[in-house]
Amino acid sequence: MSSSNDAAVSPRSQFALACFEELLESAVADVASECHRIARLGLDRGVDAEEEELCAWAARDHPGAVDGGGGGGNKGAVDVFGQVLPAVAADVVECMNCGRPVAAGRFAPHLEKCMGKGRKARTKTTRSSTAGRTRNNNGSAASSYSPYSTNPAGADRASLPNGITDGGGSCTGEEHSNHVLQEP
Amino acid sequence: MERASINRPPTPNQEDEPQKELSLREIIDVKLVESGEKEKLVELLRERLVECGWRDEMKALCRAYARKKGRSNVTVDDLIHVITPKGRASVPDSVKAELLQRIRSFLLSSSLR
Repeated sequence: MSSSNDAAVSPRSQFALACFEELLESAVADVASECHRIARLGLDRGVDAEEEELCAWAARDHPGAVDGGGGGGNKGAVDVFGQVLPAVAADVVECMNCGRPVAAGRFAPHLEKCMGKGRKARTKTTRSSTAGRTRNNNGSAASSYSPYSTNPAGADRASLPNGITDGGGSCTGEEHSNHVLQEP
Repeated sequence: MERASINRPPTPNQEDEPQKELSLREIIDVKLVESGEKEKLVELLRERLVECGWRDEMKALCRAYARKKGRSNVTVDDLIHVITPKGRASVPDSVKAELLQRIRSFLLSSSLR
């Protein structure tokens, strides 16, 4: 490297300056990139059109709270982008289980009931169905658990309460799903 | 069947030579990066620029520009060109001095081999 310090000062300072310039370039690019993003995404709160939009939206879904909670982030308040969100998500999605259109904000409870997971709200073909299904190894057609489908041969099950039936474990030759009985 | 990827001319050898003759600056630059010092310097600079309000100034410039030009017509390059002159000029002297000091001391410490 440099033998004498004197000779190296100038190039060294030059290098330091150049290095600093480079760092500054990075910082500038950083700011520019972020501002670009803000501009393109319309996150700049100062723009008039944006304000109108927000006011209209807020008035529709959350009257009296134009600027929302700011940092709260809970439903009904303002999110990190400054958008005012409705309390219940409005998007309608199609349940992949039953095929019904469901509101996104109501999707979780719907799915609970739809798949018979946990809550009390279940339909007729519930425990007996799931209990029987796990023991279904007779190769019968897909024991598709669909509580909304009708049970033509389910007269005997229709009247069963949501409790223990004959689905305890005894496969008496009659499965608890709504497909045709398998031959003995 | 002739394919471009198979029949392309061989890579010229000249590309290898410059690498063997790294200039002093490049060597130091590599050292800066490898030791992690460069990263620290960038972070330090960013921090200082935020503290002194430089960043907000630049953001205001960008916002004004974007509003004038139309939100969808803005490119990152545009913004960089908008900010750079003013940005360079408005870095506080103290910040610049601090960074330069750190760089110099790194150079000094790395010169001692």
